[in-house]
Amino acid sequence: MHTWRKVLVVMVMALIAVSAFSKNTVLVWFAGTDKALTDCVDKLVREFEKRNPDIDVQVEFVPWGELSVKVATSFAGGIGPDIFMHGQAAVAGFVENGVLMPLDDCVEALEDIGDFGEVIEAGRYKGHLYFVPVYGSGRLLAYRSDLFERAGLDPSKPPSTWEQLREYAIKLTEWEGNRMKVAGIDLEVPSQQVWGIFLMSNGGGFFNEEFEPVFNSPQGIEALEYFTELVRKYKVYPEAGLPKVANLDPIVAGTAAMAFVTAETMAAAKKYAPDVYEKIKLSFPPARIKKATFYSFGGFMVSRFTKNREATIKVLSYLTSKSSITEISYVLGGIPSRKSAVNDPRFGSDPIISLFIEGMKYAFWNPNVPFWTRARDILSQYIERTVRGTMTPKEALDKAVEEIRKLK
Amino acid sequence: MYKRIARTALIFILPVFIYNIAFRIYPIIYSLYLSFTKFSGLGTPKFVGMKNFQSLILDKEFWLSMLRTMQFSAEVLPANMLLSLLLALLINRKMFGISLVRSICYLPVITPMVAASVIWTWIYDPNVGILNFVLNLFGVGPVNFLGNMSTALHSIVMMRVWRGVGWNMIVYLAGLQSIPKEVYEAASIDGANSLEKFVRVTLPLLRPVHMYVLLVGLVSTLQTFTEVYVMTQGGPINSTTVVGLLIYKTAFDYMDMGYASAMSFVVGTIIMLASILAVSRRKEVAM
Repeated sequence: MHTWRKVLVVMVMALIAVSAFSKNTVLVWFAGTDKALTDCVDKLVREFEKRNPDIDVQVEFVPWGELSVKVATSFAGGIGPDIFMHGQAAVAGFVENGVLMPLDDCVEALEDIGDFGEVIEAGRYKGHLYFVPVYGSGRLLAYRSDLFERAGLDPSKPPSTWEQLREYAIKLTEWEGNRMKVAGIDLEVPSQQVWGIFLMSNGGGFFNEEFEPVFNSPQGIEALEYFTELVRKYKVYPEAGLPKVANLDPIVAGTAAMAFVTAETMAAAKKYAPDVYEKIKLSFPPARIKKATFYSFGGFMVSRFTKNREATIKVLSYLTSKSSITEISYVLGGIPSRKSAVNDPRFGSDPIISLFIEGMKYAFWNPNVPFWTRARDILSQYIERTVRGTMTPKEALDKAVEEIRKLK
Repeated sequence: MYKRIARTALIFILPVFIYNIAFRIYPIIYSLYLSFTKFSGLGTPKFVGMKNFQSLILDKEFWLSMLRTMQFSAEVLPANMLLSLLLALLINRKMFGISLVRSICYLPVITPMVAASVIWTWIYDPNVGILNFVLNLFGVGPVNFLGNMSTALHSIVMMRVWRGVGWNMIVYLAGLQSIPKEVYEAASIDGANSLEKFVRVTLPLLRPVHMYVLLVGLVSTLQTFTEVYVMTQGGPINSTTVVGLLIYKTAFDYMDMGYASAMSFVVGTIIMLASILAVSRRKEVAM
């Protein structure tokens, strides 16, 4: 009897082991460790595994700051994930290093690809799709209605042209002796993102199809001249930059009257300064040639080394479905990459998120070039030199182009 | 008998030996190998011979960051040593509450570098920082300490001195307490006053301590990274980009592990040479 029991236990354990090993395991790395995200993903994964008992989805959460290092070291060690989340700007680098699997053959497996609109193009590199965007972070022009009224401006009429923006910024700038108390506009030097909005809305661009830097075009120089004049001639932004005030963005802290903010900034304002949040209004950034605004996307990429291709695509399809993207974007406070998300009452009823979703029509994003991070740092540095008056806009952009060309 | 003792000793040594091989020796050798390759961290390293080192010789950014690091060391070390010695002299006496004073002086040392860097970023803040508040009382400022090219590096130097002074103070205190009282008594008999005793007795007898503090400080400041990464990210316009930050950016932002490894080896060699120089000088002094 005793022996029979032992045999039974061994058989049951063997069965469990066999069933466990017969499952296809898919390892997914999510960027971010926020509890709301981990709870949401756990729920999604449980639901998926219930529907697909033959697939075991293992999830790891990696802080954004550690993502690049962890991805690089894990792939170097041959233990990388099957699916991983990253920023869109990293696509080209990963492709050039032979890490990513093209997703062109899997497009059919993804739910309603047309629902992504133009945004899906952010994941295309050299004609192939490698990245499915999940949520975005865009920039819209935000302005403080209370400071508008104080400056005698009508808060219902935000600036819509470059000239108006400059005129408003001058009126909104407040001084206390020789100290700038309120900057007319937060230009976020040395980040290239805000200047990029002026570059793109002036009809310029960062790179051409052959990855040649082209931002020193007449449009680029004009955009940087305008940008620099705001600081040096019209003094609507301090030359040494505008730091956050105890982690609050200058527009929230009241040290800037206008800024190009993200949905995350608005979410933080709502949480930490609800009274100020009520006074921040949003509009599309002023245009010269066309409307343009910067968006960045976090999304999924698939490893070329994935062993369970079919199971991996199934998981990818589920995680990028309308419902999953809506859930993930909601808990992260990001802008969902799918247009249909606006139909969800949680997004549709929020005028701010709705505006950010609408803004995706005018979105441009970081160029898909393999050396982008280095190019970005070079460009930022030369923008800062111009703003600090050590170089003219033309000299700075020409020098930046010259240095970036060497990276190719 | 001896064989058994040796075997037992080996068993005890083995974990440390394995640890050192796995986490120190192997990474150094692998990194040396990487410095001769082009490697993004993904895929397979491609051997490029001396190309990384050749590029490094002409890399203006690298040498500028190296110079900046040396400037940082040159500003931190004398200030740190002087303040540490003064504090050590101050607390080298028996009086009520001296333990509390010693603890307070030592407190920055046990504050994690990231936390200390964040605190100092707030101190320097042009809007809400206490330093600008004080300056404002005298009608000065506000000064964007970390945003101005002329003040950013010096501001980080100040923070670093504040954080390191407690440790060196304890080292100097130990040094001061190891000086025999008889030497001071002999100096008194010879008619030396307090200043003469300090200059002719204390300072010379503290030479090995000076060398130790200098050597450890030099190695540590040449490896500076965290405070710059947290407080300025190397800006404005690279004015605080020290070599440690440049290596990090090259490896993990630009994914150029081979070139970053080459940089690390050049910096490592410079630190080693400086250390050998300091140690040999220390031996000379000791002799």
